[in-house]
Amino acid sequence: MSREEIAVEMRNIHKIYPDGVVALKGVDFIVKKGEIHGLLGENGAGKTTLMRILYGEIKPTKGEIKIFGERVKFSGPWDAIRKGIGMVYQHFTLVPTFTVKENLFLSLLSINPKATIDEAIEKAKQVSKQTGLRIPFDRVIEELPVGVQQRVEIIKSLIREAKILILDEPTSVLTPVETKDLFQALLKLKQQGITIIFITHKLKEVKEITDRVTVLRRGQVVGTVETSKVTEKDLARMMVEREVLFKLEKKPAKPGREVLVVKDLEVYDDRGLPAVKGVTLTVREGEILGLAGVQGNGQKELAEAIAGMRPVASGKIIIDDIDVTQLSAFERYKLGLAYVPDSRKVGLIYEMNIVENVALTNLYRIISKKSRRMKWGVAEKIASEVISKLEVVAPSLSTPIKYLSGGNQQKVMVGREIVREPRAFVVSEPTQGLDVAATEFIRKTLIRLRDEGKAILLISTDLDEILQLSDRIAVIYEGKIMAVGKPEEFTLERLGLLMGGVHA
Amino acid sequence: MPKENILFKFIRSLIEKIKIKKHEYIMATIEIVLSALIGFLVAGIVLYVMGYDPGEVFYIMFNYGFNDPEYLCGKAVPLIMTGLAFSIPALAGVFNIGGESQLYWGAFIGLITTYYVTQYTGIGTLGTIIGILAGILAGAAWALLIAVLRVYRGINEVITAIMLNWISYFMIIYLIIKFFTNPVIPHQSIEVPEKASLTPYPGFAIAIVGTLIVYYLLYYTDIGYKMRVSGLSPASAKYAGFDPSKAILSSMIIGGGSAGLGGSLLILAISHNIDTTMSTIYGLGFTGIGVGLLGRNHPIGIIFSALFFAGLLIGGQWVELKTGAPPMLSDAIMGIIVIALSAPYAYRLLMNYLSRLRKR
Repeated sequence: MSREEIAVEMRNIHKIYPDGVVALKGVDFIVKKGEIHGLLGENGAGKTTLMRILYGEIKPTKGEIKIFGERVKFSGPWDAIRKGIGMVYQHFTLVPTFTVKENLFLSLLSINPKATIDEAIEKAKQVSKQTGLRIPFDRVIEELPVGVQQRVEIIKSLIREAKILILDEPTSVLTPVETKDLFQALLKLKQQGITIIFITHKLKEVKEITDRVTVLRRGQVVGTVETSKVTEKDLARMMVEREVLFKLEKKPAKPGREVLVVKDLEVYDDRGLPAVKGVTLTVREGEILGLAGVQGNGQKELAEAIAGMRPVASGKIIIDDIDVTQLSAFERYKLGLAYVPDSRKVGLIYEMNIVENVALTNLYRIISKKSRRMKWGVAEKIASEVISKLEVVAPSLSTPIKYLSGGNQQKVMVGREIVREPRAFVVSEPTQGLDVAATEFIRKTLIRLRDEGKAILLISTDLDEILQLSDRIAVIYEGKIMAVGKPEEFTLERLGLLMGGVHA
Repeated sequence: MPKENILFKFIRSLIEKIKIKKHEYIMATIEIVLSALIGFLVAGIVLYVMGYDPGEVFYIMFNYGFNDPEYLCGKAVPLIMTGLAFSIPALAGVFNIGGESQLYWGAFIGLITTYYVTQYTGIGTLGTIIGILAGILAGAAWALLIAVLRVYRGINEVITAIMLNWISYFMIIYLIIKFFTNPVIPHQSIEVPEKASLTPYPGFAIAIVGTLIVYYLLYYTDIGYKMRVSGLSPASAKYAGFDPSKAILSSMIIGGGSAGLGGSLLILAISHNIDTTMSTIYGLGFTGIGVGLLGRNHPIGIIFSALFFAGLLIGGQWVELKTGAPPMLSDAIMGIIVIALSAPYAYRLLMNYLSRLRKR
């Protein structure tokens, strides 16, 4: 391979974040000129970190980057843009109240302060013609559908003469028709010699559009292969293969009657697009149902709908034979549902102390019905119970929660649900960002709860967690359940395929 | 002995609180001391440049400002209430700039209710009580209007409040001139009947009771808890199963009610009428914003900060009298000191508010 043929050459890239998280461990990443190169991996594999390094947004701890054979050191995205790199994020970087042409003009200004708006339009029209990406110049961004906004975002990069285009999960926001249009445009761009890096976790799309693909796993390259020479199965295996971690000791489950039932549930996301598309699930007494899936496939919306934080478009949610679909979160908690959200920012109020935080989901026990008084004595009792049961390390009950460590915060968030003895327990990413000891503690607690006969729905993007804890596994992809079954029915390869949207 | 038990528990929890937040309290003290120093320094420089002796001015301000307790307490009454009118909604994440007009309506409705009730029944106490209640309701209703527009129509509460302030200002002037002028003194409204009026001390006592009730509502009832949660984290409120916009409504009702109480107490205990230039009641709501910020949005803190403000206001008048300095100068001095004292807290509050606005 001669030098000119290589667009991007990243060698031995390491990235250790200031908090000690190792995101990349010696990654070699080579993209040929004019190819569509897929970058595949689970959540947290390091895809986004690697691309942010290439775009100059963050600096590698160690490693060398060459663009078209020339060694580069970026101090910010502006350097990368000048070297012909363009990035299209999942969340667009357009000014929502500006028109399309104003946005294009703005982006041109960043590389050429003397540019005029006519120049921007002229260039954009040219690019639009070459690629077939049609955009309405005079419309305001926020009025446009997401697919069109994405086209503007791509054209924005191209008028800055991008030679290398990075697309971060571009299809996650698109409808199937829009996806088709996007792929056609990408092929046209490829014909014109533009190099495209396509970040995704969807196996089908990798097969459909890419020439070569690099698979990342836990900050390391598993391999770079020609797409035509591998099957989806091979890719799935590359993506998820791992040594099975220490097994948690657990007794066989003794599932009882159905406690939490979700029937044909449909829920919309914040943008008003369908996120959960007809999900049916049943969780029984004394079992853990693990819901596996890549982030952003409707898990959050599903969990919030079950908890009562998000309206249900259609379908039913039943707790202990009571239809709770129309009830508020407060009333559902009273009926024995508990939900641990995936974000501590939602679950905890950092400025408030432990007692006030414990009160949050225990309100129905703390508010006196007659006088609406807060029975802080009761709240204190519950809080002490949380502290002793979950071994929370805190100077005192009136310590603001922000002064606790992440692990202890998580323990408070999980603990205040446990002590109110819920019957159905929905837990989302319970060990996210925790150290090994805290993780093990929370996982063991979940198993103990299961043994006590609770019905637990565990939502996690961490496959290890799913495999360690679940008595049954369900896989969600684009808001639909791909499969449900016993852990024995799933090989890693099959899980990988299902999570990537391939029926297996 | 449950009584003693509660008292003991309260003191213990207070000591514990101080121990844990020791760091925060030390920082807050340093912050206030530094702010005060900077404030007085800048004010001193301004005075010096303008040709006055800073030492003399500060001496007059603090000596005369705080030496008449009855006058001081009376002056503080409306400020305590407008301070609360700003701070209670602030805790729920709303910027209530409308304390000004909520106080106007409390004063106006309080005045005419007391007047007519006393006239028809002949019982002064009844007039006072109904006047106070009517004032609270008027202030609450006026604030609710802002909150409803914000919650159900998405209109920024700051804009609504500013516009409503002026609408109220001119409407009340119109109403007084048209229907309620004092036949003897034509540039004044009708007077509060003597048997229904209060002296400053009872007025102050009612304001303190009102503040304590607010304190109880905020920290010992679910209404207050829900308001504080919504103010700090609307997402957490939804997670707990209650509606943060309802918390906005209730915070504005309580805040507006406070301003309304401030208005009716002002009329009943201090000014006894409204003059047709509104000079007795203009500006109290705006000063209340400073009172609330200086009191760190805490009801008990607000009582002290209102007294401090009242003292500065009175002292400023004495400075005018004694040195011949224009009233604007003492206002400016007061402004500088207050800005310096409340700036760090106001900055944090504003940043919090803006970041939320962006998310919305």
